[in-house]
Parts: sequence; structure tokens; C-alpha cells
Amino acid sequence: MWRVLSRYPRLLWRLQGVAGQALLAHKARSFFVVAAVAMGIAALTVIVASVDGARRKALEIVDFFGPDAVLVLGGDIENRPVGQRTNTLTWSDARAIARSLPGAYAVLPMRSVRAVTLRYGNKNHEAPTVVGATENYAATWNWPLSEGRDLSADDIAHGAKVALIGDAPAKALFGDASPIGRTVMVKNLPVQIVGRLSYRGFTGGGSDVSVDDRLIMPISTLTQRFNLDRNYFRGLRVRFHDPDLIGVHMENLRALLRHEHKLGPTIPDDFTIMSASEILKFLTAFTGGLVAFLGVTAGVAILVGGFVLANLMFLGVSERRVEIGLRKAVGATSGAILIQFLSEAVYLTLAGAILGVGLGVGLGESLSRLGMLELRLSPKIFVLSLAAALAIALAFGLRPARKAAGLDPIEALRGGGE
Amino acid sequence: MTGQTPPGQGEPLIRLTDVTRSYVMGGVANTVLSGVTLDIAAGEFAAIMGPSGSGKSTLLHILGLLDRPTSGSYRLRGQETGTLSDDALSHLRNQAIGFVFQSFYLIPYATALDNVLLPGLYSDAPRAALTRRAHELLEKVGLTAQARHKPSQLSGGQQQRVALARSLINNPDLILADEPTGQLDSGTSREIMELLAAINRDAGKTVIVVTHDPETAAYARRQILVTDGRVARS
Repeated sequence: MWRVLSRYPRLLWRLQGVAGQALLAHKARSFFVVAAVAMGIAALTVIVASVDGARRKALEIVDFFGPDAVLVLGGDIENRPVGQRTNTLTWSDARAIARSLPGAYAVLPMRSVRAVTLRYGNKNHEAPTVVGATENYAATWNWPLSEGRDLSADDIAHGAKVALIGDAPAKALFGDASPIGRTVMVKNLPVQIVGRLSYRGFTGGGSDVSVDDRLIMPISTLTQRFNLDRNYFRGLRVRFHDPDLIGVHMENLRALLRHEHKLGPTIPDDFTIMSASEILKFLTAFTGGLVAFLGVTAGVAILVGGFVLANLMFLGVSERRVEIGLRKAVGATSGAILIQFLSEAVYLTLAGAILGVGLGVGLGESLSRLGMLELRLSPKIFVLSLAAALAIALAFGLRPARKAAGLDPIEALRGGGE
Repeated sequence: MTGQTPPGQGEPLIRLTDVTRSYVMGGVANTVLSGVTLDIAAGEFAAIMGPSGSGKSTLLHILGLLDRPTSGSYRLRGQETGTLSDDALSHLRNQAIGFVFQSFYLIPYATALDNVLLPGLYSDAPRAALTRRAHELLEKVGLTAQARHKPSQLSGGQQQRVALARSLINNPDLILADEPTGQLDSGTSREIMELLAAINRDAGKTVIVVTHDPETAAYARRQILVTDGRVARS
């Protein structure tokens, strides 16, 4: 075979034409191989795209959450004991953390109000979340403003009626116009928009509510005007200097809060500390099942494609004994026959790969439209599919091709005789 | 290209010396050829005759380098073939020998033109020259109008003429025809044998026909009779 490759590049080229001609002559059979391989490659495409999509989403979440930050929520959200309160985090907790937790450099209390109607002129928009935050919200969340200014310490201190507006409500209420300086009715409270958050474009952990669909107000304003409990927060965001030590920081934080809340050794935590990696774990568990299912499907489909290829090729070799015998009689070496049949296999699986990527992209688009998967399509998918197709052709096509190459021309011609 | 020794001075195109061929089947050796010694000179038109089972087909396979002798020597164009590798034999078949078969053996999905071109694919000749020559050969056998036809659209005689053109594409010295008229009626058989005779006469090719039909053999200038694995008369 290598002799053929090295000595006769022209022959190698001609054999491609021979292979192509033979495939066109056996269209029905070629179609089955292409279809079988395409199924496998389609499944492979979806799985690769979804794994990539999940990874990208994970990175976005880590990026949004911040690798150096943890979120403390009131109550044990995983297994809350009967009767445990969720309003357990206080200003005094926040002060204690800021004062005595080593490594912590920012403590941000958070509060939110759900499903608030915003009104501007005759336009209404229901914001799923209005967040109460402390100063420099955009800076601490690494969330650049596309225009305007951030919340200031003054705003917080005076309970100013100002707000940062997310991309979604800004579009809904103002269209393409700038929202800066406009006054929006938040329920019945007139609030001046001072800044606009840039478009983030992803949905947070597990829910399909876009993070862009929110309004940010000073926590003091929110507490006063919406009659929230003045003593407790829903959450506290704590940022640390050294992200590598986040595990240690979380333990220290837990010990401090247990001390603050005067919890005895037998009493469970009345709060939950989450880091970005914990949110990821939750998400991975959610998509992992689907990915595993698709992985098994892809493997089985590719295997089936390979067996279909091998069987139809064996059938083809016995049907085309005369052709093979004749080619050998008129001067084709075994290597030339091997290359012809392997080339036929490669073309079939490559056609299957191209069709399969198309099918997979289509399937993936519908799955992601149904919200079952987050997809990311990249050239890597195409390269992987071609590689898989090549592997199928070589792994499953080699034996039938060798059978063809090894035929004795006299026997082969006699087999086709009368 | 295979390293070819030039033909020895005065050595014939084909020289078989004490060639035997035996098969082992079920532990029993079955001798098909037992000591064939035969010279065929360049430019001859010979018929190998004999009853079925006489070994004439095996002899043809050996002459065509499709089979190797169990013992003895076969020199083609002055070159000992027994020591050549399979690939070298393929190359020699491609360049030196043209085959014509009883059942034509055309590739069913290829056109007449592509069938004529087939041995050329495995040669080093450039495509354009091959295509030109294929058209010339199709013209010679009277099938210019059928160049784009598939074998199924051709009559038996036309298919065998395509096969004749195919055997000549690489301009070989030797044409081997195995019962070339075995599936043709007598009129068509005559046409094919006339063409073979013309190839021998006009192009100077050595033609060897294997047949059991005396009428077909009559076209040849030399009759070689094979019985029981031996040359009984040449």
C-alpha cells in the first residue's frame, strides 16, 4: 500500500475517481451507510455542543458570581429544619464579618423584591427582581455600566430615589432612547434612573429568568419604601482577597456566623454559604443526565453506523468479485484495490459526517429552543466529526477492504463466471 | 517502472521450461500441468486447444501471470518471472499483457470508454494521452457512437469489442484471449476473430487464444494441443 502511495501519486488520485464512480453506481447502499453514520455524528454533534455550552455557561456564572466571592443566604436552603427561620442575617452579622473575618474586604447586604411593575409613560414592564444593594454595585459585581453612574455611598446613606436599570427593562420602557435621567414609577414610587447596566445575556442558575431583567436600588430606599424588615437581609455577599483560599474562608465565615447566632454544637446552621463552585455543582448535576444519555446514544449510533458500513462493504466485495478480479488482472496491485475500497468507505462516512453535523445542529437548535440544553457550536465540532468519520471508515472499512485486496484474481473472476 | 532486463538475444517472447502446476486439495496433490516446455515467438498467432480439464486454462493463467508455476521457469520478454514480487507481476501484467475473457468482464457501472481506459488507470500514462488512445481504439473496433454507453446497453459482440479495445490500451506485446467467442453466435464470433487476426497482423501483437472450438482455432497460424497437463502437439 505504501509503495502505491509513494510511487504513484497519480494512481492515488485516479483511485479517488474510481471510488467515487463506484459509490454513485451503488446509490441505495451508499445512502444507508451515509444515513447510519449521520445519526451517530448528529448525536456526537449535540453532545459536544451541549458540553461546550454547559462549560461556557459555567464560566459565565463563575465570572458573574466572582471566583473570590461567596453568598450567604438566611436559612439552610438544602435541608431546612422544621420551624427554622430564613430571616437570620442581620446588620450586626455584616458588621462582625467586615470587622473580624480575616481576608474579607467587602461585605454587601442584599435584599430583593420579586415581581415589581415598572411604569414609564404608558409603558409597563414587570421586572422579576428589584435588588436592594449598597454602593458601587456595578463595580463589585464586575458588571460594567453602558452609561450613567454607579450607586454612591450618598445614595445609600440618604435613601435616594435612584436606580440602575438592567438591559431588559431599559429596552422595554425606553427602546433605543437613553434611560438616564428619566423617572420611572417603581410600583408607586418615582425613581430616577442614574445608570444602565450593560447586556449580560444569560440566565442565572437553573432558572430561565435573564439576569438582565432587573432594577437596582439603594438597599435603604428599598427597605423604607417597600416596608421590608429593617433588621434582616435575604443575603450577604462577601468578597475575599485570596480566591485560592476560598475553602478556608468559607469555614471561617461559617464558624463566625455560628458564633454570632449563638448556635450550640448540636444545632444545625441557620444560614447557607454558597460559592461559585457550589452553584456549578448544582448546574452540572442538572445537565449531566442529559449529556450522559446523549453520550450513550452517540456511541451506539456510531457503532451501528460502523457495522452497517462493514456489512454493506462485505456484501459489496462479494457482489463485485468480478470487478475486483478484473482490476487485478489488468494490473491493479492489492494496494490499489485496498485504497479504492478504503476511499469508498471514507467518502461514505465523510458524507455521513457532513449530513450528521447538519442534523445535529438542527436538533441542538430545537433542544436549546426548548430550553433543555445550552449549546455552543464551534469549528471543533466539525473537526471532531470528520475525525470520528475517518475513524469509522478505517476501523470498520479496513477488514472488507483487505478482503477485496486479498482476492485471488482467478478465483474472483471464476466466481463471476457462468 | 520495474527494472526489466532486455530480452536475451534471439530469445522468444515466451519461454516455458518444464513448468508444472499442482494443487493440494484435501491432502491430495492434484497435478494440472506436468512439465510444459513451450516457446512462443513475438508476432505469433497461436491457439491453445484441448478438452476441458486438460490444463489449458491453467496454462493461460500462468502465461498471463495470474498464477505461478509450482516448478519450472517462465521467461517473458527474456525476464524470469518466478522471482518477481506480486506488485511487480501486477505491473508487468498491466504493461505487457492484454486480456480478453469469455464473459467480457466489463465493469457494469462504467461506460464503454471508461472500461477501455481501465488498465490505463493503473499505468503511468497521462490521462489525456490515454483518453485519446481509448477513442482511437473504440473507433478501430467500430464503437465510436457507443463510447458513452453502459455495457448493459451493448450487444454481446459489442461488449467483446470493448474488451478488445481495453486489452490494447497500454499497448502490450501479448494479447491473451480465453474462449473469446464462447458466448457469441457464429457471425459475431467471426467478427471478433477477424479483429484479433488484424491486431496480430497489423499491430504485430502476439495473440494467444485458448479455445476448444476448432473454427475459432482455425484463425491462428499455430495450434498447440494440450492433453493431460502436457503439450501433446505444437
